[in-house]
Amino acid sequence: MQVELTVNGATHTVEVEPRMSLLDCLRDKLALNGAHAGCEHGVCGACTVLMDGQAVRSCLILAAQADGAEITTVEGLAPDGARMHVLQEAFRDAHGLQCGFCTPGILMTMVPFLAENPSPDEDAIREALSGNLCRCTGYENIVRSVRLAAERMATARADG
Amino acid sequence: MIVEGEHRFPAPRQTVWDLLQDPLVLEKAMPGARRLVATGDGTYEGVLRLGVGPVTAAEWKLNVELRDRVPPSSYTMLIDSKGALGFTRGSAKVELIETGPAATTMRYKADLQVGGKVAGLGQRLLDQVAKMMTKQGLDGMGKELDRRLKGLN
Amino acid sequence: MHHHPPEHPGRGYVGESAPRNEDRRLLTGNALFVDDVQLEGMLHVAFKRSDHAHATILGIDTSAALARPGVVAVLTAEDLGDYWQPGPLLVPPPPVQGLVFNQATQVPLAKGKVRHAGEPVVMIIAESRYIAEDALDDVWVDYEPLEPVVDLEAALAPDAPLIHEQLGTNLAAFVPQTHGDYEAAVKDAHVVVSRRFHYDRGASAAMENRCVVANWNARAEELTVWDTTQAPIPIRNGLARMLGLLESQVRVVAPFVGGGFGPKIMMFYPEEVLVPWVAMRLGRPVKWAEDRQENFYATTQERGQVHDAEMAVDADGRIIGVRDRFLHDTGAYDPYGLTVPINSQCTLLGPYDVPHYDSEFRAVFTNRTTVTPVRGAGRQHGVFVMERLLDLAARELGMDRVEIRRRNYIGAEDFPHQWRILFQDFSPLYYDSGNYLPTLEKALEMVDYAGFAEEQRRAREQGRRIGVGVVSYVEGTGIGPYEGARVTIEPSGRVRVATGLGTQGQGHYTVFAQVVAEILDVDVAQVNVVTGDTREFGWGTGTFASRGAVVAGSACHAAATAVRAKVLATAARVLGIPEDEVEIVSGRVQPRGQPERAITLAALSGMANPLRGAVVPGTEPGLEATAYFGPEKGSTASGVHAIVVEVDPETAMVKVLRYIVVHDCGRLINPVIVEGQVQGGVAHGIGNAFYEKLHFDEGGQLQNASFMDYLLPTALDVPRVEMAHRETPAPENPLGLKGVGEAGCIPTGAAFAQAIEDALPEYGLDITEIPLSPNRLFELLESARAASAPEPAPAVP
Repeated sequence: MQVELTVNGATHTVEVEPRMSLLDCLRDKLALNGAHAGCEHGVCGACTVLMDGQAVRSCLILAAQADGAEITTVEGLAPDGARMHVLQEAFRDAHGLQCGFCTPGILMTMVPFLAENPSPDEDAIREALSGNLCRCTGYENIVRSVRLAAERMATARADG
Repeated sequence: MIVEGEHRFPAPRQTVWDLLQDPLVLEKAMPGARRLVATGDGTYEGVLRLGVGPVTAAEWKLNVELRDRVPPSSYTMLIDSKGALGFTRGSAKVELIETGPAATTMRYKADLQVGGKVAGLGQRLLDQVAKMMTKQGLDGMGKELDRRLKGLN
Repeated sequence: MHHHPPEHPGRGYVGESAPRNEDRRLLTGNALFVDDVQLEGMLHVAFKRSDHAHATILGIDTSAALARPGVVAVLTAEDLGDYWQPGPLLVPPPPVQGLVFNQATQVPLAKGKVRHAGEPVVMIIAESRYIAEDALDDVWVDYEPLEPVVDLEAALAPDAPLIHEQLGTNLAAFVPQTHGDYEAAVKDAHVVVSRRFHYDRGASAAMENRCVVANWNARAEELTVWDTTQAPIPIRNGLARMLGLLESQVRVVAPFVGGGFGPKIMMFYPEEVLVPWVAMRLGRPVKWAEDRQENFYATTQERGQVHDAEMAVDADGRIIGVRDRFLHDTGAYDPYGLTVPINSQCTLLGPYDVPHYDSEFRAVFTNRTTVTPVRGAGRQHGVFVMERLLDLAARELGMDRVEIRRRNYIGAEDFPHQWRILFQDFSPLYYDSGNYLPTLEKALEMVDYAGFAEEQRRAREQGRRIGVGVVSYVEGTGIGPYEGARVTIEPSGRVRVATGLGTQGQGHYTVFAQVVAEILDVDVAQVNVVTGDTREFGWGTGTFASRGAVVAGSACHAAATAVRAKVLATAARVLGIPEDEVEIVSGRVQPRGQPERAITLAALSGMANPLRGAVVPGTEPGLEATAYFGPEKGSTASGVHAIVVEVDPETAMVKVLRYIVVHDCGRLINPVIVEGQVQGGVAHGIGNAFYEKLHFDEGGQLQNASFMDYLLPTALDVPRVEMAHRETPAPENPLGLKGVGEAGCIPTGAAFAQAIEDALPEYGLDITEIPLSPNRLFELLESARAASAPEPAPAVP
């Protein structure tokens, strides 16, 4: 079957099997490999992408269900390539990643979270992160990275 | 996994015993059973269709053997089922106790081993599923008994 | 040795927290992980795995699978012909007197029988992963179940069913190691404490499952294998041997790897042997990507041990000796030899002076997934036993648990400290350096141990039960045999560093760059590190045993030092001055103090590779050098962990309020990266202590093979770890480094147990097992309540 997906601003018509997951579609059909398969059952969060602005587990969604939807993957966070997104920069500056496998999913979970909670406290960040598993970092530097990004975003808003 | 319990049938012990030996009854009583045929004295073969939790429904080959039969009071049921998603094997001890002229208590205790995908993914649910299936099975048997007592067979 | 004062702070040299060179690629989704490799015409693999823990294979019917459209091949053990061979023994047994070792390594596909649930039996190759998985249900394997061997003691009973019939026993190894004479010394003991301790299995649970992609280029006669391995070079060497190729015909790439934690050093996994072979046979690229459920069954695991241990102390609390007899669960096969139980045996001694030690272990085959090192690699078991024995002895003596530790530390003046038992690297256990007491005192100060009793009392008044645990450990790190590195100053002036080991998040692209940048005085961002590609660097072993930064870091140091010498020699020649008058300043060479005569390293690189004339006799073209580092002895890291917990005795829920780590991993290359390693290690340790347990039933069936049922700690479960570093430089390597990758998770279980007991003194808990789930703790509390229940008060009439 054919589905139409707008991914990171570009519209694609893709031929998929009805049972193909959105994750496999993004990775295998569109060569967007930033979303990762960590558990294939919606627990680890490594496959998180935005679907119409909401963070979703792309391993649990069929490509067919995303027909007509607007998808943002980690590759779409910093589209111009020169500068990273403020959240990506904060993760680098606060050492918020080690192996980096879970990181794209965490970034895509935190983008809508920060949009809704521009100045979250630590508990709120941890709560929001609790659906994403990371084995390397012990989470602390992820929390710091998110706080750093929130502060920088606030500064940018104040300046702008 | 241990599944045990008691069930009361409002019928004489011999009637209940006969009921339990009939593959047609067993087929109706066993949730998911597609076919069950006697292949010898006290041996049955069949196909089940079952799924547990996140494990999709699949066909399971089923062999049942009744052993150590002491009519009409007790027997042991050996269960061996396997499918693409795993296996279940074990035995169930069934006792029928006469509690009145038309009242029989069935006491059962099954010790089952579950392996394969079902074991790894469905474990949280297996106990519940086993209890539910046992209840469905006993209810099925109760209905069948009812039919027989009413002479509908 | 190189002496370079940090005259350019902020440039990210050794000791600074430089941001990581690899992060941009990872953060933008552009880093290559193995599963990202997509090749034209690629086939996909799924494995039919055993449902049984122990069974005879009566027959296999693959006809229906073969008939399914899209299925290209279906292979059983019989189809592999001579290629079917048991895997290599990675680590042979050390030369210990009286040692017994029975080898039984894993096979590519089960033949005749299966020995653990999840063992691969049939390999299906199809046009897509979806089709390959569909075909799994078409394969029918007829098994005759055998009695599973699960319990460690029962496995050694004379009538136990045998897992490897040819061995005639389920004993995988017996290793006695002693020093002193415990039997004689124990007679003088004031107190002897003894217990049985249990440590059970957890999953390594790297977020990336394993994956192998192989491509045979028939025209170039070259095999490329992308593999989620921690040891690409040994994989290449082994594949070349198995496939009858030259090592130079095989390229193994371990690109970005999504967490290793030990099991990715294991080789050869059946899938690693099969995928390249199939790619060559079929002439098409082939990919196998493990799914999470397979990972729970087929990726190696660790931590099953049962110890019967005792400690003898004198009236002052000084350790007279320790005796330990333990069983080690090695699972269905023992390809990794004795590394894990020997680590347990050696690391048990910890930072303490133990005059008499009598230790024996038996490694046991069981019908469970194979055991190889997982972060910590046997060390936590030993530390748990030792720390618990010290707690028990302190309790018996009425002595403070910190005081008993203080009295038994090896003194700062006693280094290097030589033991007589053999360590995992086959040389006698050796502590190169250390200074334990100040580490303890710092941790006590940070946790306010002196004021804790008062804090505890105040909390109790509010109905809260809090407890503190303080434990110590040492970790042998940075062992040989060797690693190498090649450092090149390219004509652009940028520096390229190639090393052989793989990287799984440790920041090698940055820390190696820092080591090299400092020596060549260039920016860290100008140093481009490549790891894990055998075409770039073909000599080395791998990333394991907390050795990457120590051993490969030292090799980078040596290679950069050699390049620096070439830079100075070339510049001296070009500038017409003696070498000792040349200086390197910010990526330029110049006569000392004459920046107007400076030559950039880029220009110098061109001059070192002339297009005309001749290369000066006795020199080599280019500014490049390769060097190796093989430490004769490892370096011993150490530390103290202090934990504060709050326990609710009604629900048995435990909350970690504070976690403090004071540790000594020698000189720090990048403090933020080191802290990240420690924080992550503690999270792993907390998981092992409280949340994570692989539940096998008595039939050898894993009951919780998904992240729904196997609980990894989340952001809500792991506190911020408060850290302090102490730097006792390691004398055995030029930078003074010690490993840190595993330290965080080693003593966590011991700290956790002590703190829970401290929080609930009235229960008289005796915690002798890890993991200790809320359920299990609840049971312990219930039995403690039942044991101490007062007589029911007489009913008031």
